[in-house]
Amino acid sequence: MVRRLPEYLTIWVPLLLSAAHLIAFSLWTIWISFTPSTLVPVTGWVGLRNYSAVAASRNWQIALDNLLLFGSAFVLLSLATGLILAILLDQRIRGENVLRSIFLYPLAVSFVVTGTVWSWLLNPGLGIQKLVHDLGWTSFRFDWLIDRDMAIWTIVIAAIWQSSGFAMALFLAGLRSVDADLIKAAQIDGAGPVRMYRRVILPTLWPITITVIVIQLQFAISTFDLVRALTNGGPGIATQLPALVVYDLMFQRSLLGRGAAAAVLMLLILLVVLLPYAAWRYVQRRRAIHA
Amino acid sequence: MPITTTRRRLLAGSAAALALPAFARAQGAVKPRLTAISQWSAGSDGAAITALGKRFEEKGGIWQHSPVPGFTTEMMNKLRAQIIAGDPPACSQLKGPEIAAWSKIAPTVDLDAVVAAAGYEKVVAPDLAKLHRPAGKWIALPLQIYSTNMLFLSKRAMDKAKADKIPVTWAEFNDLAEKMKSGGVAYPVANGGTRPDDGQKFEAALAGISPLAYRAAIMNLEKKALEGPEIKAAFVQVRKIADWMDPNVGAQHFSTNLKRFVDGDMGMMIMGGWAQGVLRNAGFKFEDFVIAPGPSDNGKPVFLLNADAFIFWQRKEADLQAGQTLMAQLVMDPAIQTMYSQITGSIPVRTDVDLSGEGWSDGQRRTAAALKDAIASNQAVLSLAHNMAQENGMTAAMIDVITEYVKNKTIKPEQAATRLADAVESAR
Repeated sequence: MVRRLPEYLTIWVPLLLSAAHLIAFSLWTIWISFTPSTLVPVTGWVGLRNYSAVAASRNWQIALDNLLLFGSAFVLLSLATGLILAILLDQRIRGENVLRSIFLYPLAVSFVVTGTVWSWLLNPGLGIQKLVHDLGWTSFRFDWLIDRDMAIWTIVIAAIWQSSGFAMALFLAGLRSVDADLIKAAQIDGAGPVRMYRRVILPTLWPITITVIVIQLQFAISTFDLVRALTNGGPGIATQLPALVVYDLMFQRSLLGRGAAAAVLMLLILLVVLLPYAAWRYVQRRRAIHA
Repeated sequence: MPITTTRRRLLAGSAAALALPAFARAQGAVKPRLTAISQWSAGSDGAAITALGKRFEEKGGIWQHSPVPGFTTEMMNKLRAQIIAGDPPACSQLKGPEIAAWSKIAPTVDLDAVVAAAGYEKVVAPDLAKLHRPAGKWIALPLQIYSTNMLFLSKRAMDKAKADKIPVTWAEFNDLAEKMKSGGVAYPVANGGTRPDDGQKFEAALAGISPLAYRAAIMNLEKKALEGPEIKAAFVQVRKIADWMDPNVGAQHFSTNLKRFVDGDMGMMIMGGWAQGVLRNAGFKFEDFVIAPGPSDNGKPVFLLNADAFIFWQRKEADLQAGQTLMAQLVMDPAIQTMYSQITGSIPVRTDVDLSGEGWSDGQRRTAAALKDAIASNQAVLSLAHNMAQENGMTAAMIDVITEYVKNKTIKPEQAATRLADAVESAR
């Protein structure tokens, strides 16, 4: 015990510290969300007033709609892109390492940089639309960034560019870990490549798929820097997302209580994603023990 | 007891430093030091505050300025953190009704004596003075004034429109915009896409249509005025302006388009006087543009006031207290205000500064004249878009409606007016 003390210290001290931070600040935020705090935290009790004010605000309603659209589109599309890239890379092609690095590279770029670069690329007066116009196709239109109905898709595009490499890396690892005997057996049985993927390889990937979905979803829910740099919630307030609303309430409007209420609502949305995942993991483990 | 003597002498020195900084400095008892935070980090704003710091150092002080770049709210976040930590800066940028709001969360310095000694009270516009002594005592000092509804005209765009008359009313403004459009100016109104940018279009429209309605609806939040016909008329004018703007700007800052404005690709810009400093800092000449007061339907200038100020936070340290006194004296000094405004393009707070000399632009002289006229005719009002009329929460709620209206052309003016009144109700 004493001999292993340094090991315990290195693991438990940081773990307890970060857990205490996480829990203490979450509780603190929950407490603030029930107080009339504005510029600075104050004590007092206003019940659910902050929550009803947030829920009734146009900003929050737009943010929720956008989250639903952005979350599902981003997760599904980045999953599909990642899977296709992984399958293509899995064909024992030359230069795989180089290509893999290229696809993974966007992940190393910060979201603020991604957002800023895409905001110039997608700006109709400066980016892709202007390039195509200058090449001679003057009726070409690609102005989603300033179209309030389509602007949310520009965030989907940038987010997919950023993180489909991550999905690809996980899927590729999954593809490589498929039992070689299984593949050989299928080959002997005369399965073609399409059938091989559909019937043999992809079904083994679904635990990885769920992991990717959960990670991407929690990213989608907490998206902040990307939107802030790309559209800053605009045009107007068309691309608001919950994290932007929280920041806006707390730091732009100096309404700490309402901002905290919005943050707690975000936490609840996250739990909606994470709790089923935890339950699923639990069931899996039970099954593994009984098998 | 040699130690006690020294301590007593030191105390006496600090007291002297408070009362008579110049004398105390000569004694070398305490060197004035100032910790300050502001959002002014770059461009003409950064240059101006750096110059102010130089003067502070020339007077024997230690200047410790930490700029927080970005919008004012970002600076406020740092200020909030420092106040909660019990370590406020000796002095920070803050303005408008926020001075009153923030002075409730931390003790501020009573500046009455130093303001009286400088005779500052007599030379500051009364409405403005009120904002800086929310509970009766001076706790903050205005530094410079801008009008947020100045009209910048591109000389080249005027040439294209074959026009040389500066528009006075909104009708004349609309005529000129049409002329520019048919004369080949791609976008008669130059603009950025930020929230304050959209807010300025609305406040300029409403105040220009009726300064009385502006005062009642925006500054006093009177329900009847908020539902009045002037609000709807202002939204109608804003839609016209929006139709003349370049929709491609996205969320860009107005300064991104200054070159296109000077080139005559864009015609008119409704912007605060600070755009002069930005234009000059970007290397453009006074010959490239004209500055005039924003459109006003009754012909008399309407002045949308925006004033930058410093608030002074209580500190125990003798050197910081001496620094605060020195800073206050500098901020009120006409020579310093002249230096500052000549760099940024603003006008001095002091109404007794003579702007006829070299170093002032025609635009600044016009702005100062407009302020005098506007005060005389009670048409100097406080800017909404730049947080002078209301506290941040209320301002943001109103700007939400305005910015959505500017970007979404399917919203009708009467719908926008209703939404504005609703937003005010729910933010109260």
